[in-house]
Amino acid sequence: MKNVKAQYRRYTRSSWGNFFYFFFLILFGLFSVLPMIYTVCTSLKPLEEILIFPPRFFVTRPVIDNYTALPKLLSNLSVPLSRYIFNSLFVSVSTTVLHIFIASMAAFVIAKVKFKGSQTLFMLIQFALLYNAYTLAIPQYVIFSKLNIIDTYWVYILPYLPSTLGVFLVKQFIDSSIPDALLEAGRIDGAGIFRIYYQIALPIMKPAWLTLALFAFRDIWSMQPAGTIFSEELKMLPNIMSTISAGGIARSGSAMAATVILLIPPIIVYMVSQGSVMETMGSAGIKG
Amino acid sequence: MRNKKVTGIERLKVRYGRMFVLPWTIGLLLFFLVPLFSSIAYAFCNVSLVNDKMLSFVGFEHFKYLINDDPNFMDNIKDAVTSFVYSLPIIVALSLIFAIILNQKFRGRIFARAVFFLPVIIATGVVMQFVTGAALQEGAALSTSMGETESYSGIRFDELLINLGLPQSITELLSDYIARVFNLVWSCGIQILLFVAGLQSIPDQLYEVSKIEGATTWEEFWFVTFPMLGNVTFLVLVYTIVDLFTAFDNPIMKQAYDLISKNSVYDQSAAILWAYFVVVGAVGALILLAYNRILMKKWN
Repeated sequence: MKNVKAQYRRYTRSSWGNFFYFFFLILFGLFSVLPMIYTVCTSLKPLEEILIFPPRFFVTRPVIDNYTALPKLLSNLSVPLSRYIFNSLFVSVSTTVLHIFIASMAAFVIAKVKFKGSQTLFMLIQFALLYNAYTLAIPQYVIFSKLNIIDTYWVYILPYLPSTLGVFLVKQFIDSSIPDALLEAGRIDGAGIFRIYYQIALPIMKPAWLTLALFAFRDIWSMQPAGTIFSEELKMLPNIMSTISAGGIARSGSAMAATVILLIPPIIVYMVSQGSVMETMGSAGIKG
Repeated sequence: MRNKKVTGIERLKVRYGRMFVLPWTIGLLLFFLVPLFSSIAYAFCNVSLVNDKMLSFVGFEHFKYLINDDPNFMDNIKDAVTSFVYSLPIIVALSLIFAIILNQKFRGRIFARAVFFLPVIIATGVVMQFVTGAALQEGAALSTSMGETESYSGIRFDELLINLGLPQSITELLSDYIARVFNLVWSCGIQILLFVAGLQSIPDQLYEVSKIEGATTWEEFWFVTFPMLGNVTFLVLVYTIVDLFTAFDNPIMKQAYDLISKNSVYDQSAAILWAYFVVVGAVGALILLAYNRILMKKWN
């Protein structure tokens, strides 16, 4: 089994060179976190500070009014807030889990079984990676209506399941870390293909499917399908954002507060999966 | 390397293999392949969702219109390709530099990596619109779907910079540059990750050898690190091309999206996207081919 061991290099540069490097790192690092900091700051600003022009970056007198105002703001929704929370969690979690199984099963077979058409399938995956969702939106709509699933949870779940990035990443990971001999051994010990997949392959693939979990959860959590969901009780959390922001500039603090809350789940998923993401990406690069 | 003999597991796997890929294949067929071919059909037809007869074939009509009569299309495609061509090398180079720094041992390395990966975690959908909001306002289709909200959500660099008390012309210039750098840094997340992972798989012995041979840091980079990253760089190139190609803030995507969402014109927008696909696909393929021919050949 090939073990990609983490190898870090020690400093070889002069202290001046180090200073320059870290200056560079911090400068650009700031660009990457600024919006987050600004969002958090604004969510803590009292109304007077929100209305100041020109706006200030940092909050001078932080208050939590924007957060405490949220329940009241959301109390006049036609559907209780708990329903949106349930929808978001239900759809995100179930889609993520289903996607992991479907993608990893397909990847497992494409990587380990040479059957007719497996090469074609892999070519198709790489081509599909290049393709953008917008072009497909309308024909997909036609299919939804033919399947009679418009305005159901399926509209969220089904189109995401065959997304090809997952299959690509898992296949690359299997290529680099599951040797045929291991599966042979499982076979000799009398395991059927389902057991081989479930008890041998799946645990080894853990970094790969945790990475998928991160990407899938991130995408679905913030999904807002256009024109396929009409019932208010089937909508997800991002939809309440428009309700809040309808209050105009005076409500921007609360909108930011809601944004901060909405960002928490994907960040938690990231913290759980962060080590695995690196490992998976490492294997993705090996074969190119 | 691979055992050609058909063993027990191979036979068994072939039998059940199809069953394993089946759910995914059906999904791909329904939600990718069929829509893909319909969108090609749309590009060559007039589409009406009201009549019974949905499609009527018109040949290259839409493409002719785009090239000869559409006021924005040619400009948009020029803009998209130009920004594509200048962003690609910058993003790849920046990511490589960040990755090299992040691969060194220093306190807070995990935190620093998380910082650069943060955009990847939060850079989707509605939440993204609120976080960055007007920061990406220039040509950002993102904020337009939120309508009025764009006027007050997110960072307005131009307004924040007024606090510095500089003349307006400098403020405008600065905020423009900041927005650009911002855009670039925010598209580096995955690439940095790929490069860091790639750097970790380079065996340490190579560096020891090069040090014994007396290579400078610069030579070490060009003759050890860069060639060893060949495959990873290729993957990064592909990823970046796809990412830039499908970005929401590119003018072509915006034009096509507006046609769909505001005017419900499906045929024309399908034609736009396919024309764009062909152009950018050609540019991307050229870059990848050149990379393979020139660099990979030199090393192998």
